[in-house]
Amino acid sequence: MTSSEVAIRVDSVSKSFGRAGREVAALEKVSLDVAEGELVCILGQSGCGKSTLLNLVAGLEKPTSGSIDLGGRRVGMMFQDANLFPWLTVRGNIDLALRLSGVPREARAERIDELLDIVRLPGTGSRRPHELSGGMRQRVALARSLAQDCQILLMDEPFASLDAITRDAMHDQTERIWAERGLTILFVTHNVRESARLGDRVIVMAPGPGRISHDVRNSLPRPRRMEDVAVATAAGALHDALQLRDDEAARA
Amino acid sequence: MLRALGRRTWPPVLAILIALVIWQVTVWSGWKPSYVLPGPAAVFEALGEQLATEKFWIAIATTMSRALVGFGISLALGTAIGLAVSSSRVLRAAVGSLITGLQTMPSIAWFPFAILLFGITEQAITFVVVLGAAPSIANGVISGTDDVPPQLVRTAQVLGARGASLYRHVMVPAALPAYLAGLKQGWAFAWRSLMAGELLVIIAARPSLGVQLQFFREFADTAGLISTMIVILVVGVLVDRVFSVMANRVRANRGLGVVRL
Repeated sequence: MTSSEVAIRVDSVSKSFGRAGREVAALEKVSLDVAEGELVCILGQSGCGKSTLLNLVAGLEKPTSGSIDLGGRRVGMMFQDANLFPWLTVRGNIDLALRLSGVPREARAERIDELLDIVRLPGTGSRRPHELSGGMRQRVALARSLAQDCQILLMDEPFASLDAITRDAMHDQTERIWAERGLTILFVTHNVRESARLGDRVIVMAPGPGRISHDVRNSLPRPRRMEDVAVATAAGALHDALQLRDDEAARA
Repeated sequence: MLRALGRRTWPPVLAILIALVIWQVTVWSGWKPSYVLPGPAAVFEALGEQLATEKFWIAIATTMSRALVGFGISLALGTAIGLAVSSSRVLRAAVGSLITGLQTMPSIAWFPFAILLFGITEQAITFVVVLGAAPSIANGVISGTDDVPPQLVRTAQVLGARGASLYRHVMVPAALPAYLAGLKQGWAFAWRSLMAGELLVIIAARPSLGVQLQFFREFADTAGLISTMIVILVVGVLVDRVFSVMANRVRANRGLGVVRL
């Protein structure tokens, strides 16, 4: 997983919203390099600009200044809601993703089966999104992102609305698929423990305006579990990092 | 199955029975002489007689073919205008509120103008039917595409849908329930406008439901008149049912609430 090549280069990116003269700065001069194959968590409370950063990397928004370079890599994205298209079946949802990325019709059926296997959902293809549980929906969303054959996967609090047991299972799946496919993952969360469980690196962000306050390497051996003492300890340190920043803010 | 059917059938049946009883009691009270307000028995007898005449079926065929043509044109026009307006900011600013304005305009108010334009012709009727129905259909498309959840649009963009493919794969299917609601409303307006048209634009030697109404009024045949009104009501409701069934099927597929028929 330690390739030295940079997959995502964010170079002093600023982003503000609103009309000229009344802008609100969401991000100020954020710089970040993510190596290929790295799983990086972005941790911060709401309003610190972490989702904005992800949207910028996804190309859904344009930075006000600065630049983002992905070296031509393909990007997939998952959100807190699975956002499956409710008028399509599970197969239909994955099929549309394949189709939009130019996979010819003959090849699609087989790819769909393959992708459903990867997310451990074989045999659910004909079901409708509303017939699935929250965890299953997120797995379909994951399969749909993988259908784009993305090299970079952006995940915006994808498991925040799942119960703890389902979330743990999703962590395992995410980790397995990340390792199998050599993906580069940017994982946004406000859950300290989750960032310690998943990340090779945890980027701690601070609000007002959004910026990176800490960049913490997390080299705990995998597989990890949420309950591991080492994960809890790492989470504690991250918590202190968040806290420290609050104290600074209080002093300022 | 039979019991479920029974559970769904008895409320409307009961409602119709109550209406018939009120009607019959009113007749018995002697409020109006029976040749002005006949009772249900006389009306259903007249309806039976009507159904047995060839003229009635010619009339209903004329009316239904007008409805079909008018609604068909409204469908094509309304959908095209709706798609154009929903995808263009300039068009929306220009005609968006005009479409809603047209919808509130009583279609009967168009007839004098339509008659001056087209004379006493089929075109005059079709013109007004289309003006009645097309705005509702266009509005269905516009509100449907406006209400597509933005997170679905973002997801589609991440998946690589842009411009036309975004419309085709996401906006249009997402707007389908609202579109069907627009069709349903469009049909109601088309049917109303058509009846108004058939009363005002009477073309010689072309029997229609509207002409039948006029005919029964002129001969002071209230039983015939009411029986024709029942036919108009039943046709309107049946077609509305078709749209409701379609809308429910689409909603059920998406896990949305289904409106009980």
